[in-house]
Amino acid sequence: MPAVGARPSRPGGGRPAPWYTGIRPLLVATLRQEARATMAWIVLVSVLSASSIAAYRWIFPDAADREALALTMSSSPALELIFGPARDLMTNDGFNAWRAGMLGALLSGLMTILLVIRTSRAEEDSGRAELVAAGVISRRARLVVPVVAAVLASGALGALCFLLTWAFGGQPTPTLVLSANFTASALVFGALAALTAQLGSEAHTANWLAIGPMGVLYGARGYLDASDAPEWTQWLTPFGWFERTGPAAENDPRPLLAALGLTVVLLAAALVAAGRRDFGLGFVPLRAGRAAAPRLGVWLFPWRLHRASLAGWGLAFALLGIVMGTLSTSVGSILADNPVIAARIATGATSTAELSTVFIVTVLQLIGIVAAIMGAQIVLRVHAEELEHRLEPLLAGPLHRGRYLAANVMVALVATGCALLIAGSGIGLVNAADGTGVGFGEALYQGACTIPAVWLLVGLSTATVGACPGLRTIGWGGIVATFAITLLGPTFNLPEWALSISPMHHVPNVMADDVEWTGLAVVSAIALVLWAIGFAGFVRRDLS
Amino acid sequence: MGTDPVILTRGLVKRFGSFTALDGLDLEVAPGEVHGFLGPNGSGKSTTIRILLGLLRAGGGHVELLGGDPWRDAVALHRRIAYVPGDVSLWPGLSGGEAIDLLGSLRGGLDMRRRAELIERFELDPTKRGRQYSKGNRQKVAIVAALASDAELLILDEPTSGLDPLMEAVFQSEIADERARGRTVLLSSHILSEVEALADRVSIIRRGRVISSGTLAELRGSTRTRVRVRVERLPAELSALPLADPRVDASGVLNALVEPDRIDEAMAALLPLKMSELEVSPASLEDLFLHQYEDAADAAGHEGGDA
Repeated sequence: MPAVGARPSRPGGGRPAPWYTGIRPLLVATLRQEARATMAWIVLVSVLSASSIAAYRWIFPDAADREALALTMSSSPALELIFGPARDLMTNDGFNAWRAGMLGALLSGLMTILLVIRTSRAEEDSGRAELVAAGVISRRARLVVPVVAAVLASGALGALCFLLTWAFGGQPTPTLVLSANFTASALVFGALAALTAQLGSEAHTANWLAIGPMGVLYGARGYLDASDAPEWTQWLTPFGWFERTGPAAENDPRPLLAALGLTVVLLAAALVAAGRRDFGLGFVPLRAGRAAAPRLGVWLFPWRLHRASLAGWGLAFALLGIVMGTLSTSVGSILADNPVIAARIATGATSTAELSTVFIVTVLQLIGIVAAIMGAQIVLRVHAEELEHRLEPLLAGPLHRGRYLAANVMVALVATGCALLIAGSGIGLVNAADGTGVGFGEALYQGACTIPAVWLLVGLSTATVGACPGLRTIGWGGIVATFAITLLGPTFNLPEWALSISPMHHVPNVMADDVEWTGLAVVSAIALVLWAIGFAGFVRRDLS
Repeated sequence: MGTDPVILTRGLVKRFGSFTALDGLDLEVAPGEVHGFLGPNGSGKSTTIRILLGLLRAGGGHVELLGGDPWRDAVALHRRIAYVPGDVSLWPGLSGGEAIDLLGSLRGGLDMRRRAELIERFELDPTKRGRQYSKGNRQKVAIVAALASDAELLILDEPTSGLDPLMEAVFQSEIADERARGRTVLLSSHILSEVEALADRVSIIRRGRVISSGTLAELRGSTRTRVRVRVERLPAELSALPLADPRVDASGVLNALVEPDRIDEAMAALLPLKMSELEVSPASLEDLFLHQYEDAADAAGHEGGDA
């Protein structure tokens, strides 16, 4: 706890204490507490940028390779969806701006959202902030400190990213613009989190109130990019502003002024709200709960626990399905405008129908990766409950550990399965209505065939949470690796063995003529083994 | 009801890395008794309870709960026990009533009449969310869930921490009722008056070992009785009185100790001094506890160890 040693104002009367009272000692304590976790994010984003500079010359040594890359890129709307449009793939800076630009901005925003909520609302939830608030400190200082920490983190992120990328051979100007984008993204979303920390009554709610809109903005940006929307639509989202700076193309930092403006507005709103609300409460009030729940047993309990977030996820997957379905109907015609693709269609090497089925397969794999994030969160909650000592009273009842884990893993499996069925249905509905030749059943079936790969990723988390929670980051590592291989593997011409590390690689295209099932069978078998490890470990180990 | 012990440990050992939490713990709890389990922070009380609950695996020695192995037979045994932890953590989104029902349904059902009665006696609002409860109210949620079950054995780990004195009294009367119903209670507590009021037998633990165990009377044994008396005139020589360790405090009250079988003699000696106030009390649990600890600490000191 920080020693809050600011000079007290005169008691009873006199001028009120200035707003900055108590900031310094709390800031020092906060920075010391958060430095390590935040540094990991900063390094992650910096390495994301530096690695594309380092890898570019190695993977694409000559002009022919680079042109091939540009061609793959322009024929894959799925890549545009995630990474944004490529402006220039013939230089390493242009490649970096494409590969790291949007993703880096997303990660930067996530870093400050989590940092701000952790140091503001989560502190209140835990009761630690009560100790601090009882010290000589102004009400607003408790929000100013997380905001200052976030600003420092944003600045450090930009600085380290610039230095590292430049050291690996990036040109100063485009690298500077790119790094400034990351800093701007961190500032905007940190400011958003400062506001949502005042709205939600607990850290969990506040986190989702910030991460949810960020995800929606990212998705909207992807949709607009992939559907060749008019250029002015870039002004609709902060991610569009970052695109407009055009690192390695225009190198124009002026759109970042919009990000700064939004940051100031959000922070002002957050500070006003922080000065007016009661400690521990938010603007979204807590309703009274039910006085009894006679049917709440071990199998229903995890559903009850995740009820609210599952509803949110369900809505998100339905939306994703419909939006991606809409996009898939126009993929063929968008690509047909591309002269190279048009030539290939003319020679019969491909067809617009084939292009859209390939798009649907890839999009369902990406949705599967998002579903795996949800599944991993549900499974990791088991360990969080253990750490919070809420597992102990449950297991003190006649509840077998295996059944408790099974009830939770069941939620993760059913929820991820439903996610793909919902998204598949959405894609199918839009395609069936549009008469593209892809039927409702085919899209749904494709969604269903993606499920075993998602279950393998959930299995990674299950195995670690069950057998060795210290290694639970492996679950996230698996998801990140799958994402990278699925999206970038083919672009980088990775060999088959490397591609086959990703479980998504084994999901067959059921809309194609011949379907290969062995890979999916192996994926399912590995998933079963991972679950078995998790269950065997969970009934054997000491609980913390 | 059988006479086999409900809880029996012999030479129980648990190590966490190089730290030894339990170092040969012997504990025996007989059926139908309220057994006080005393010891300072970090002495191994909670580790013992977590082994009895099958949350931790014993590192060595013998442990038996209701005739079974708490690790191997955890599920079967847990049908017959109820547990109240010392620091209850509730699910932030669940109401207290929902949490009670969840814990109850995992144990195979609650006595709904008893649930309603307990909620009323403990003045608990079951519609509040977990995170809205104060420490004491979270504790009440766990107590209601445990007492409304039909468990044979209640394992209570500092169950009343955070309860106000009124609720503490309600708790004591409820536990007395439980004992009258024939249930066995393992009560770990720092509140010595609570243990003194409820416990039939007491075990005192220190650094992972039980250093003393028995009924309160047995523990008192030959421990001297405390005498506090105000007299009109004090004798010139205090040591002439049949009292041990006599001391006169600032207000002129004489404090001393006396062997239980010499109380008559002491009274006879005090009578001529014209007493105006008199208090004769057997050693309290607090005296015993401190006494045990001082002895054990001295012994450890003589061993020259600082472990």
